[in-house]
Amino acid sequence: MSRIIKLEVNGREVEDLVPDNLLLVDYLRERLALTGTKMGCDGGECGACTVLIDGVARLSCITLAAAADGRAVETIEGQAPGGRLSALQRAFHEHLGTQCGYCTPGMIMAAEALLRANPDPSEAEIREALGGNLCRCTGYVKIIRSVRAAAEAMA
Amino acid sequence: MSELLPDFTLIRPATVAEAVAALARERAQVLAGGTDKLVQLRRGLAVPDVLVDIGAISEMQGIAAEGAGLRIGAAVTLASLAHDPLARAYASVTEAAASVAAPGHRAVATIGGNLCLDTRCLYYNQSHWWRQSNDFCLKYQGTVCHVAPRGNRCRAAFSGDLAPALMVHGATLEIAGPEGRRHVPLAAFYVEDGAAFLTLAPGELLVAIHLPAPAGPSVYAKLRVRKSIDFPLAGVALARTERGYDIALTGTNSCPKMVEFDVPFSPDDAYFTALEKAVQKAASPQRTTTIQPHYRRLAIAALAARKARALA
Amino acid sequence: MKDHSTIGRPAPLVDGIEKVTGRARYTADLADRDTLTARILRSPVAHGRIVRLDTSRAEALPGVLAVVTGADCDVPYGVIPIAQNEFPLARDKVRYRGEPVAAVAAVDAGTAEAALALIALEIDPLPAHATAAEARAPDAALLHDDKPGNIEREVHHEFGSVEAGFAEADLIRDETFSCAEVHHAMMEPNATLAEYDPERARLTLHSCTQVPFYVHLAVARCLKMDTSRIRVVKPFVGGGFGHRTETLNFEIIAALLARKAGGKVLLRLSREETFLTHRGRPQTDVRLKIGMKRDGTLTAVEAEAVMAGGAYAGYGLVTILYAGALIHGLYAIENVKYDGYRVYTNTPPCGAMRGHGTVDMRHAFECLLDRMARELGLDPFDLRRANLLEAPTFTANGLMVNSYGLPEALDRVETASGWTERRGKLPRGRGLGMACSHYVSGAAKPVHWTGEPHAVVQMRLEFDGAVTVLTGASDIGQGSSTIVALAAAEVLGIDMARVRVVANDSEVTPKDNGSYSSRVTFMVGNAAIEAARALREKLILAAAEKLEADPVDVVCEGESFFIPGAAQSELPWQEVVYAALAREGTLTEKGTFRTPEKAQGGKHRGGAVGSTMGFSYGAQVVEVSVDEATGQITVEQVWSALDVGYAINPLAVEGQIEGSVWMGMAQAMSEETAWRDGLHAHANMLDYRFPTIAESPPVEVHIVESIDPLGPFGAKEAGEGALSGFPPALVNAVADALGLDVNFLPVTPDRLLEALIKWRRAQKRAGGAS
Repeated sequence: MSRIIKLEVNGREVEDLVPDNLLLVDYLRERLALTGTKMGCDGGECGACTVLIDGVARLSCITLAAAADGRAVETIEGQAPGGRLSALQRAFHEHLGTQCGYCTPGMIMAAEALLRANPDPSEAEIREALGGNLCRCTGYVKIIRSVRAAAEAMA
Repeated sequence: MSELLPDFTLIRPATVAEAVAALARERAQVLAGGTDKLVQLRRGLAVPDVLVDIGAISEMQGIAAEGAGLRIGAAVTLASLAHDPLARAYASVTEAAASVAAPGHRAVATIGGNLCLDTRCLYYNQSHWWRQSNDFCLKYQGTVCHVAPRGNRCRAAFSGDLAPALMVHGATLEIAGPEGRRHVPLAAFYVEDGAAFLTLAPGELLVAIHLPAPAGPSVYAKLRVRKSIDFPLAGVALARTERGYDIALTGTNSCPKMVEFDVPFSPDDAYFTALEKAVQKAASPQRTTTIQPHYRRLAIAALAARKARALA
Repeated sequence: MKDHSTIGRPAPLVDGIEKVTGRARYTADLADRDTLTARILRSPVAHGRIVRLDTSRAEALPGVLAVVTGADCDVPYGVIPIAQNEFPLARDKVRYRGEPVAAVAAVDAGTAEAALALIALEIDPLPAHATAAEARAPDAALLHDDKPGNIEREVHHEFGSVEAGFAEADLIRDETFSCAEVHHAMMEPNATLAEYDPERARLTLHSCTQVPFYVHLAVARCLKMDTSRIRVVKPFVGGGFGHRTETLNFEIIAALLARKAGGKVLLRLSREETFLTHRGRPQTDVRLKIGMKRDGTLTAVEAEAVMAGGAYAGYGLVTILYAGALIHGLYAIENVKYDGYRVYTNTPPCGAMRGHGTVDMRHAFECLLDRMARELGLDPFDLRRANLLEAPTFTANGLMVNSYGLPEALDRVETASGWTERRGKLPRGRGLGMACSHYVSGAAKPVHWTGEPHAVVQMRLEFDGAVTVLTGASDIGQGSSTIVALAAAEVLGIDMARVRVVANDSEVTPKDNGSYSSRVTFMVGNAAIEAARALREKLILAAAEKLEADPVDVVCEGESFFIPGAAQSELPWQEVVYAALAREGTLTEKGTFRTPEKAQGGKHRGGAVGSTMGFSYGAQVVEVSVDEATGQITVEQVWSALDVGYAINPLAVEGQIEGSVWMGMAQAMSEETAWRDGLHAHANMLDYRFPTIAESPPVEVHIVESIDPLGPFGAKEAGEGALSGFPPALVNAVADALGLDVNFLPVTPDRLLEALIKWRRAQKRAGGAS
């Protein structure tokens, strides 16, 4: 079955006919061409597909597009309004929180959810909040530093 | 390019009655947080015609005081449970909730979903190709349990963190079905069979969890290789009672399990050694993960004894 | 050291903004609406003969545009020209579970999967062998008829005389270590986008490769196409760690499908399929015998390595050679004997992985050194110091060592970790361990030896004042594009914003040997410097003409040209650009890098493997606490010093060291690839447990700069050398914490607890108290 969903994606209203069995990650990537959201695993194991739904970090690879009906979805593409980097994006860029970049969109979105709820997180809180976002390049050292730097820049 | 999911109809009822009616339909399944269900759909482990999304049912939401105890809606998310001020008196419950997977999962995963979490096994939680190459298994589509080929039942391990944490606090479940409502002690909700571990009848829906007043302080400890994401290799909940401890296990058997241990409390090594032995005896981990079963039994018993000492 | 204007300070990646904004496009992001979806049918058995493969029903399914099988490609491929024995789709025989047998391209995923289900495949099973021991058994079934005993390659080397060396020794110890197979698990699953234009008979590939040049050659061979009709583009790539050095089966399969369908095909593998493509570090058993004098001086080393290499040759012979070759190069050792056996097994082929071939041997070596130090009452640091090389030198097997920062690396981590004050004084369950390691800065002789320069960089001066750098070096996240940009900016004295890097499009960029064996900074960096210098010469000539000065007096710095101390006005960059272009139009200069003959290793068979222009040198201290009840190890802190020659970009160097230390930790503690009944038991990211942020330790990095005489600005590699130090430092730390030596990797909690229980029992039997 299909249904019409109305949602907000990166601040823009969208109305679309989607099959019930369409995953949010496929909807974002294929229908909306928002390919910044990545797939790194076969479902729910790596965090690369993390987006915000009503401000909460969620895994779009195990979320139905239909479940986003009536909600606000934010992806990495919506984080740089007017082309200017968000505090987290700038910190990840300047402090090398990103190497290959593949986990980065999900990592930044998870960190974004953290900083909105807790603008001054401790290292332990950062480790807790990003516990579901795997990175294979950095050893996470500079990811922690990037999140702290963003928090300090926003303070 | 899309990931293939079976073709199903998604239904989003507003009441328990509507949900129960929807679940009566052919090949209908509940969709709660979806953190395991959608993975199963992607791997061909579930092929529903109807998915009943229980997210809009207000009766299944909320945590509220109920006498000296607590009522927790089955659709309450693990994230909200972990931080709920009322639930704090049941430390094993909030600790277990906070230990599940990672924040992105806990934001949507529900307490009811965790109690009904399908049993897990190395031979089961695989792709269709993988399982087909192995002639499937007794749990699903096959005839042999590859973990215990000579046995007559599925050995998949129950891996929910919340069940033992709630069991040691004497939780009961409120279940709605075509025949009306019933209440069942949590321990009686399960049977030791990995392929049919829930006593939920067709069309029934877990609506709420009821907790009596906490008997004493409690704790949940979880054995895993990584400190995030991983399912428990084994988990143990302990609650301090007048007589000693109520102890329950997960990850070690095909259902969560109360540990039989009646020795009256005494704060000495012999007591805690006896407790450790009792946990070892109750735990029966199998080759359902790549981590050795013998290890899971020994280490969870040691953790249980350590936590018991800390709680003494 | 000379002052530098641009390099030597932390620089963000030139493509970092794309990565943090989601604008970076990886292969799977490039599909458009008319792109066909491809799927692969894989062998359900580990070893067998294909007796029937009928695709007619799949071909007849509406929406299916192409079906390919082994019949569509009869040319074997493989990264080493003399050892090509793999077909992109199995022909006649299958040799591992998951080997591709057929593939389809269809209008959508549902149709493609339905088509796979319609393919009739029958296989007559043969006995399958998942371990080297089984495969070497006298009655084992042969994977390849021309390889008796399932031995892919044997290596036997002796340098000096181990007999004489052991005779001189005061202490001889002999131990066996077993290291599990590990996988790269880079975050981006494999994907290739292939587009075929039947009118022009041209093929365009976008693929997640570390070496586009190899893909180009392999696809041309397998499709029997002229190389000039193929274009290979490397988009953003989500890591590699060696997985993507070889051309992989899916890349050729995508090309076969696109040609047959006459269109555009995206073949995106699942995570499970990416695991099945494997090419990781093989399960390795190392037997190691070391002799030393009472003062710790090494007198002889005898080593044997047996590797379960998987079903095809792949990189096998290089891996088995590396394990022996890099016993040398870290310490002064004259008497070394090495026997290596690379064995075929019915598992996915192994290949190159970060620290290629050296990690498990180094693990055994550094563990055994520590145990012998203990017996002799020597401090582990002092033992290493008793065996230092003196650069410049050549090792017994002919490897050139021009710079050697190991002494400083040892000093740095010894001090930083508080080793002398703290070791031996920590409470039970807490321990410190150390180890050393090294790695090559590119192979001095590549496997595809054509006689060309190892690297070519073109630099074009544009009318708009920009400098375009054209390179075939593959940035896979390690920052190679940033390195060439920094080199250009430094030499030309210009702002980084003037430099544009165009990389990895075979239609535009010069051929490069790709990103593997840590070759890019050294080779491509040097080529970039040479190109920039050539361009600078042209600019200086033009400036000198305008300034009416002798070119040797003209300085090019800070985006201007001037004569120091002279009263004449400075010429701004753009003015000199116009002047230079006026002389001869758009300027393109070229820089190349060739390895010197003397760097190319010993003259013995296989002597080129391990040869390099410069080794990185690392020392590492790991602090652990061990929970004896659960066998769980917590890494509290790591101190890692690495001699990288010179840190062109200290930020990226730190990132590389942190990442490689961490990857060493992952192999040491939790990662492994194992099989149950020939089926991959870790083909997902829950069972392949690479560490999360929650348990990943702080890593304190110390950059040591030895200024290599041949390195670009003195630089050497930074991305691999620290890895192999971690596993032995961890095992040595566990020994310090508990008194227990373990000879296996990974040290998972279950293995450690089992070892502890056995050890306690043995101690009890021996009557000792623990």
